[in-house]
Amino acid sequence: MDRIPILKMGPFLLVTIQVDMHDRLAMTLQDDLTSRIADTGARGVLIDISALEMVDSFIGRMIANIAGMARILDAHTVVTGMQPSVAITLVELGLSLPGVRTALNVERGMSLLQSFLDDSDPLVEEPSPVDEGAGAGPEE
Amino acid sequence: MESLLQRIVQTGAEVAIIDITGVPTVDTLVAQHLIKTVTAARLMGADCIISGIRPQIAATIVHLGVDLSNVDTKATLADAFRLALRRTGHSLGRTPTRSEG
Repeated sequence: MDRIPILKMGPFLLVTIQVDMHDRLAMTLQDDLTSRIADTGARGVLIDISALEMVDSFIGRMIANIAGMARILDAHTVVTGMQPSVAITLVELGLSLPGVRTALNVERGMSLLQSFLDDSDPLVEEPSPVDEGAGAGPEE
Repeated sequence: MESLLQRIVQTGAEVAIIDITGVPTVDTLVAQHLIKTVTAARLMGADCIISGIRPQIAATIVHLGVDLSNVDTKATLADAFRLALRRTGHSLGRTPTRSEG
């Protein structure tokens, strides 16, 4: 059975959906992602669906579910790269995905997640075990 | 709706302003379509601002029971543009060179 890879990028998890989602795959993704968030203590999840050309109500609801579960696990969810046809389909299905943040592309999604991280705990110094090399920010 | 969403993808726009100054009347269908467009744009990662809603249309929208509470509305296109600039991190200011009156 195939799976959708979940990549860890610093304090965030990156999921890029490159294949057509079927229901089993979506269920597996949901299970994998929630356990990965719990394992890694990720603060943000970025789901890139730019390659996704068709959604149905199940997949739409699954995205909303994943975002809700991630929120409970203290991670923000950003969905990026949604195609116009997909957006129209979701709206027509009545799924406006409240609580899910969206961005036009992965780059903007990442900066959105970073901004959540920046203003989430301004008092506490980031105890991140991440090397400088993993951060995408330019060093000056 | 499709053309707006396509252009958002093409241009990578962060904010879309829908100015309806020239719209004489709004019925439920139009209002519903507006909301769908705004929601779809939000799903793609762009913010929508509706501007130029005339008093009669505002009254109609309220009478029809259409909920625009989670949509940004501005009185004029200029106001909407100002909000859009602020959202994208730009600021407008007068240069002091010609301020002598």
